[in-house]
Amino acid sequence: MRVSEHFSERFNVTLQARLRDLRNLAEMVEAFGRMHDFSQRTTFVINLALDELITNVLVHGQFEVDVEPLIEVELAVPDETAILVIVSNDVRFDPTADTNPDTDSDLLSRGIGGLGLHLVKSQASRYSYEYTDGRNRLTLEYDKP
Amino acid sequence: MNQKLQITSEQVGDSLVLVPLDRVDSSVARDFEDFLDARMQEGHTKLIVDFSKLGFISSAGMRVLLINAKKLKPSGGRLVLCKMRAGIREIFSISGFDHIIKICDSREEALAAM
Repeated sequence: MRVSEHFSERFNVTLQARLRDLRNLAEMVEAFGRMHDFSQRTTFVINLALDELITNVLVHGQFEVDVEPLIEVELAVPDETAILVIVSNDVRFDPTADTNPDTDSDLLSRGIGGLGLHLVKSQASRYSYEYTDGRNRLTLEYDKP
Repeated sequence: MNQKLQITSEQVGDSLVLVPLDRVDSSVARDFEDFLDARMQEGHTKLIVDFSKLGFISSAGMRVLLINAKKLKPSGGRLVLCKMRAGIREIFSISGFDHIIKICDSREEALAAM
């Protein structure tokens, strides 16, 4: 995991394809949140987004044969909004598309597919996705963090 | 850095109270599933998961709870959750999990629900 830029203003991290980096990343988010007086809820939902989205790339993402999997995470707080950007070089996948999670069935027939992405979207103030230069770029915004 | 699942368990009456610590994220969800499977293999059918020391859970951890609640139901067993922080309680509500798995405010209430 490689960290660049000034941590007090923003942080930018490049991850390789390892789930164990998630915990280090979560601790960075917590430290950054304390520095910027994030609410406990905001720190939680940002870490939830990172866990769900990075796991999605590492477990389900498809990569071209000659591509080394890389994920870049940037978190910044311009003005009164926390902006989280996650860039990955797997094949095109739009996590903002409707995942139709099952939130109504009874216990024995309940499925959980698509739930993680549904939670991420439901907790963000705004989100957007673009695919450019062979990279998926998801931006999540959280007002009054 | 230790990234293994941290969890304690305590027998209270005929219920087993499990207290996961810190995080149940994608990197330890499999360990969480194995731990719950082992308790069920031991014959425990009344499980309470006390969230009071848990700061984070992702959908991978929630999936494990759902799977085990399903496994317990046919044999008359039960999984009850308690003492969730507000942020975690909110995602259980958004997921509709609070309609299919009992969630209590206190451990006493969870024990009484068994």
